[in-house]
Amino acid sequence: MITPEHLTQYIRQAMPDAEVTVTDKTGTSDHFILRIVSDAFEGKNPLDRQRLVYQVLSDPMSDGRIHALEIRTETKS
Amino acid sequence: MSELFKMADTAVEEEVRREIQEHKILVYGKGTKTMPMCGFTRETVQFFDRYGYAYEVIDVLSNPAKREVLSRMTNWPTLPKVFINGEFYGDTDILDPMAEKGEIEPLLKKAFEQA
Repeated sequence: MITPEHLTQYIRQAMPDAEVTVTDKTGTSDHFILRIVSDAFEGKNPLDRQRLVYQVLSDPMSDGRIHALEIRTETKS
Repeated sequence: MSELFKMADTAVEEEVRREIQEHKILVYGKGTKTMPMCGFTRETVQFFDRYGYAYEVIDVLSNPAKREVLSRMTNWPTLPKVFINGEFYGDTDILDPMAEKGEIEPLLKKAFEQA
């Protein structure tokens, strides 16, 4: 389990400009839908954008605090 | 990492390369087409059912070594892992937006036109 605030912190550490929308999909605080808007995604293809997000969240994903993620990435422009 | 492990990994890697050549649409997932063991694998099955092209689901839940090799090959930590025409396309996080833009049908059509 992880709070949306904590999750957002992880993302902002790597992408300070990120606008993060967290939806708890199952109500169990471990399966989230993330919408991240950041210029860090500029020029990156969809696969690399996801890889970047997984990388940033590798700790809470590997220790099980996050069970599942659905990720939507966008740039500001 | 011992030599023995490296050899085993290479064999698994070759097996994966063979499988993605053999199937135009291949999903490495948790469970099978008829019995998905995870919501994401089920969603992926439902996704491809919509298009009516032949596709295969290979269960790697029972094969940790293969799961590991696949993650390394794709630099992608989660399952399912989708390959179309030998190319890696991630999962429905990637495929759904493509479908919204109408990019999936032409991609599949092209894959199945090639002999």
